[in-house]
Amino acid sequence: MSRNIQKPERYHSKSRNEAISLAVKWIFLAIMILFTLYPIIYTIFGSLKTNAELTQGGSFLPSEWHFENYYQAFVEADFMKYAMNSIVISLSVTALAVVTCSLAGFILARREFAGKKILMALYMSMMFVSLGSITLYPIYEMLRGLHLHKTIFAMIIALTGGQASNVFLVMGFTKALPKELDEAAIIDGCSIYQVYFRVILPLTKPILAVVALFSFRNAWNDYITGLVMTITAPALKTLTVAVVQLKYSVNAAAEWHIMLAGASIAIIPILIVYLFANKQFIAGLTAGAVKG
Amino acid sequence: MSERKNAAKKNQIKRNLEAYTFMIPNLILFLSCSVYPVLWALKYVFYQYGGYGTGAPRFVGLDNLARVFRDKVYWESMLHTFTYGFGKVIIIIPLAFFLAFLLNKQKGINGIAQSIMFLPTVMSSAVMGLVFYLLFNAYNGEINQYLMKLHMISQPINWLGKENAMKTLILTAVWGGVGNYMVYFIAGIQQVSEDAIESARIDGASKIQTIWYIIVPMLGPILKIILMLAITSAFHDITNVMVLTEGGPNNATMVSSLYSYRYFFPISAAEQVVPQYGYGAALSVVTACIAGAVTIVYLKLSKRLDDIY
Repeated sequence: MSRNIQKPERYHSKSRNEAISLAVKWIFLAIMILFTLYPIIYTIFGSLKTNAELTQGGSFLPSEWHFENYYQAFVEADFMKYAMNSIVISLSVTALAVVTCSLAGFILARREFAGKKILMALYMSMMFVSLGSITLYPIYEMLRGLHLHKTIFAMIIALTGGQASNVFLVMGFTKALPKELDEAAIIDGCSIYQVYFRVILPLTKPILAVVALFSFRNAWNDYITGLVMTITAPALKTLTVAVVQLKYSVNAAAEWHIMLAGASIAIIPILIVYLFANKQFIAGLTAGAVKG
Repeated sequence: MSERKNAAKKNQIKRNLEAYTFMIPNLILFLSCSVYPVLWALKYVFYQYGGYGTGAPRFVGLDNLARVFRDKVYWESMLHTFTYGFGKVIIIIPLAFFLAFLLNKQKGINGIAQSIMFLPTVMSSAVMGLVFYLLFNAYNGEINQYLMKLHMISQPINWLGKENAMKTLILTAVWGGVGNYMVYFIAGIQQVSEDAIESARIDGASKIQTIWYIIVPMLGPILKIILMLAITSAFHDITNVMVLTEGGPNNATMVSSLYSYRYFFPISAAEQVVPQYGYGAALSVVTACIAGAVTIVYLKLSKRLDDIY
């Protein structure tokens, strides 16, 4: 008798516990998702409001949709030019990073050569020594010595940087490919260049995509390198630098809508990239972390 | 015989040359953008130098380093770095862990939630720093507007004032980093075998017991890496600080790497600085040494943790 009564009761309490833990889970997730999305939604909706609506408080959605904020940002605040700079610089950095890391990663994985041990040690040690952004000054001085400091090349070189960790990433990936592939190609009379172009390059595409994605993100989002390198060449400013500098303009208090339109212009392209490549971003992060 | 040797030698040279044609493009970038700046900084630690057109650098021996040790503002900034790093780690690690625990199974809505949580990682911390600057503005910011509307506060909170600036900064750092650490934890959890979790469940362990006694200990090795990344990255986050608080008000959020940066470049367009490259180099070298020391101490401590388990 008592058993019969107890059983449904225990069952009931278990399902109640489960319901509570499920509720806790979803409340926690909802709060975290709201916390994450709120600043982004604020930026995008805010870019369509008037300055008064932004600063004096209004509804969550814009009461009227002021798309002319974007016209003002693009034309009057010159963001068209800065957007072009950002695009050219980010794509060049991506290309330079992929090409140089692919070449170096391949040869380090596949061939012994004079000085390799020293180079490896040097690359390794530079991954641990970090002096931060101050290293931009010697780089800037060096580029001035080469008369490149007022050109777009300065930004591209400084932003690409040493790439030590990406070289290791490509090297590790190449090492995991069977060596028989190269050997067969060499027996067939391929030179090392042909081995690289015909055998290894096509097979390392997945890891090169990771390098490309992260290089593009870093270049597009960079602020400090752009800031430092364009002190003497304001025409080369990137979007991020131009957006943040609105904070210091004389009309800053009256230009929140322009700041948010600028911020949206800076974040929307990377959001679009992320929309299509979010899985690769997440997988790429782990690929980079595992080696550490 | 010697001809053969010669041929072998020639072949060796050819092989080396080939190898360097592959290395050269990256090597040029690496030597000029990674190695050279470090050597430059190590040299200028011993010099006084005001930059291009201000006269030749003057050798001052250990003066710069001695000045670093006397510089009260620098050590305060180091303290702020630790506060910032500690605050960030202590909030971000549990949050990231729970998110990972809840979302590690890649199906349907979990995958979408993961992608959303990871979103801040792909966004510019400078641009978002500006957005946070507007959101947290004391009089016109939307956060205070909402809190007032909901009658949770009667007076606007000065989020970026001396009292709160560091807390606000940590909050924005959590926003930007939690998805990143979540992904690391997911990678770790997926390495914990399903069998161990299953057998614990059969033995009647509750969910919390499973987390605490099975998953956390098995996450040990990856937790070690994650904590190390979190600690070392705290020394390098300066973009957010530069845009959101500029190290202010009154140096309340001045972190060590921003402090050395200031001897090289102005933090904001509004600021005028007289660069002191030698002293700035000394500051950054000392900071790098402290960051290295913290890492070593951490590795030693975490090794001891390994022995306990």
